[in-house]
Amino acid sequence: MVATQGAVKNSKIVGLFVVSLILLVIGLGAGIRSFVVGHMEAYGVTREIPWGVLISTYVFWVVTSTGLCLTSSIGHVFGYKPMEPVASRSIFLAICTILAGFFAIGMELENPWRLPIWNSLSPNLRSNIWWMGTLYGAYLFFMLIEFGLIRLHRHKQAALAGLLGVIAGVAAHSNLGAVFGLLHAHEFWYGPYMPIYFIASAMMSGAAAIIFFTWFAYRFSGREMDESTVKALQVTGKVYALLTAVVIFFTVWKIIASLAGKPHGKWETIMAFLKGPFAFNFWVFEVFLGLVLPFLVVVGVRARDINAMALVSGLALLAIFVMRYDLVIGGQIVPHYAGMHIYGLPEYYHYTPSLSEWLVVLGSLGLFGALFLWGEMAFDGHKPIH
Amino acid sequence: MFKGFADWVKSLKNEGVEHIASEERRAFLKLGLVITGVYAGGKLLSVVSRVREVYADIPEYVDKYPYKPHYSMVLRTDRCIDCQLCMEACRKTNHVPPYGWRTRILEQHLPSGEGQWTRRFMPILCNHCNEPPCVRACPTRATYKDPETGIVKVNVKKCIGCKTCMAACPYDMRYFNEEKRAIDKCDFCWESRLSKGKFPTACAKACPAGVRIFGDLADPNSRVYQLVHDPYRAIWVLRPSMGARPNVFYTIN
Amino acid sequence: MKRNILLLLVIFVGIGFLLHAWPSFSQEGEEEAGYPTYPIIFTKPLKAVLFDHKVHVEKAGLSCEDCHEDIFKMEAGSTQQNEDFNMDSLYKGKYCGVCHNGEMAFASNTRCASCHIGVMGYERLLKKQHSSESSSEH
Repeated sequence: MVATQGAVKNSKIVGLFVVSLILLVIGLGAGIRSFVVGHMEAYGVTREIPWGVLISTYVFWVVTSTGLCLTSSIGHVFGYKPMEPVASRSIFLAICTILAGFFAIGMELENPWRLPIWNSLSPNLRSNIWWMGTLYGAYLFFMLIEFGLIRLHRHKQAALAGLLGVIAGVAAHSNLGAVFGLLHAHEFWYGPYMPIYFIASAMMSGAAAIIFFTWFAYRFSGREMDESTVKALQVTGKVYALLTAVVIFFTVWKIIASLAGKPHGKWETIMAFLKGPFAFNFWVFEVFLGLVLPFLVVVGVRARDINAMALVSGLALLAIFVMRYDLVIGGQIVPHYAGMHIYGLPEYYHYTPSLSEWLVVLGSLGLFGALFLWGEMAFDGHKPIH
Repeated sequence: MFKGFADWVKSLKNEGVEHIASEERRAFLKLGLVITGVYAGGKLLSVVSRVREVYADIPEYVDKYPYKPHYSMVLRTDRCIDCQLCMEACRKTNHVPPYGWRTRILEQHLPSGEGQWTRRFMPILCNHCNEPPCVRACPTRATYKDPETGIVKVNVKKCIGCKTCMAACPYDMRYFNEEKRAIDKCDFCWESRLSKGKFPTACAKACPAGVRIFGDLADPNSRVYQLVHDPYRAIWVLRPSMGARPNVFYTIN
Repeated sequence: MKRNILLLLVIFVGIGFLLHAWPSFSQEGEEEAGYPTYPIIFTKPLKAVLFDHKVHVEKAGLSCEDCHEDIFKMEAGSTQQNEDFNMDSLYKGKYCGVCHNGEMAFASNTRCASCHIGVMGYERLLKKQHSSESSSEH
């Protein structure tokens, strides 16, 4: 059964699109209310843990966006033919996810309206967050151009724009890693590990997102996948398994490096992951759903069974959301004056996301969902272009 | 023969130390020794060690002062009694809202053996670091190191509220001020006092115990200079491994 | 395959729950030393100074007459009403300075935080007293 014009638009998709819009409106409302009453009142972040679930959600979306760009570039930028059929949707998803990320951070910044003005009038070239913001701006620009060119069937130019997007994406995303990695104050983050790890985990997230959302798009519109798309997802599955193995490798060494010699700050944090307040998140989500299960299943089905892979990819995306949460919050939990015999200092700082924060998170999901589903309808299921 | 030598030494009379040149005395002082006696026509000296406490571990960046005046504070931490008059003065002088603080006191329970501890209060405030992590992290240069005084200040209108400086500060010295819609922090009372010719900071002025000594670290006549440059005084900074090179120093008595 | 995965899920959820509940590492409890039943707290001219009878009677071997009523009035905390109840007077050998002169006991200008418990210590004591009062009511 070949998809025909308008086949993608059905009541299920429209319904989900409307649900997404509602979520977006709720999130937007919660975010705007938070500006009015003040973030201190509305959000659960504190002086000690200034970065909460909105920052980790931002990181989640941009990790996925960068990953979608990087993983799909194997096909449409670097010319590996079997992966080309998923290019259009991947690029479009990269745009959706980065916009969802911008939504989350836009609601998190105290004065987002000052950002465009002072980012350009008073740049700090030593600041990773300046580079990250600026490069992600460039990245979004290139991705939009690339997507436009793909839709116009101008693949040569699209590949060039894609290459620029990849470069901007890698630079932006490693800078996001450096936003954390170059803060001496938080030993768990500090070091060159973060920028490198961010790129590896981005590609893993991107592969999972391609598999899950491509499968989801076909499943939801009741279409059957054509041969070339199945092939593309099978290749993506192999990439996914490989990158999961890479991230497992990274995670193992992060644990060992944080244990060996009890390095101050790192050790306390990793103990919170291994058997403390983050242990459930760590073992169930990060390790099992995020790494072990997808690796075993994808290798187990030899990257052939799309349904099985899509299922574990979807779960892994949820796990990666938790992974980002643990990374962002976990890096800040060790008290500044730990180890100085301060009376009354907690073992770990505590943070719980507030309702407003969760609503904004749902709003970013709503924005992503609305854009993604609109894209499916508007671009006719990103019909493979031959 | 050795016995003879020992007897000879014992037979010598102390000729008094008052004729020794002061340069010579100082040379010994630098070695941590005090001349206590002179024998055999000034040929033999008797000396004792004068090092009382730990030899000062002066941070490596001390003695290089890029700012004029190079504002600095020395906290004689064991004199602090947590009366919190400094905190009140700071709050009033700088209009710090109830949910925030620019300076505060921590209570240390220093272990003194067998389940015992000794109380010591430790005031903390912005360290006005030479390599401030917050300044490097700020995307819009809203927080900056004043090129003249070295004070780490905030330009309120440029602050986008990303809170990266809060995450970057190893000392927990920044908070978001809802009224200013910007990050607020200690500025050594630049806005409220120093720029108006008032000296010293509100906290130093309010302290009844002489804990907070504020002044110009580049001026040899200032007390901060003399305290920090006393080689027999234990001087330390907080979390030196952060590499921020604080300009707030700690010492005892 | 499915069974194995289910088994794995159970194992990981089990590990997660089990380790979540455990304290990540033990920190030695910083319990306060036992204060005497009736702490004498001076809040003037500054918050706050704690006088501990137990230490002075049992460890220093002082009797009531050694201090009362020549140096301190019997009535608890009444001395702080005096204008000259401050560190300068202590250095001149009045009040605590009678003994705390560096010869009989440590000098008044040393070991500040031995007696000064600060605002934090004061508030902790108030809280403690309050909670013990409310618990004794039940």
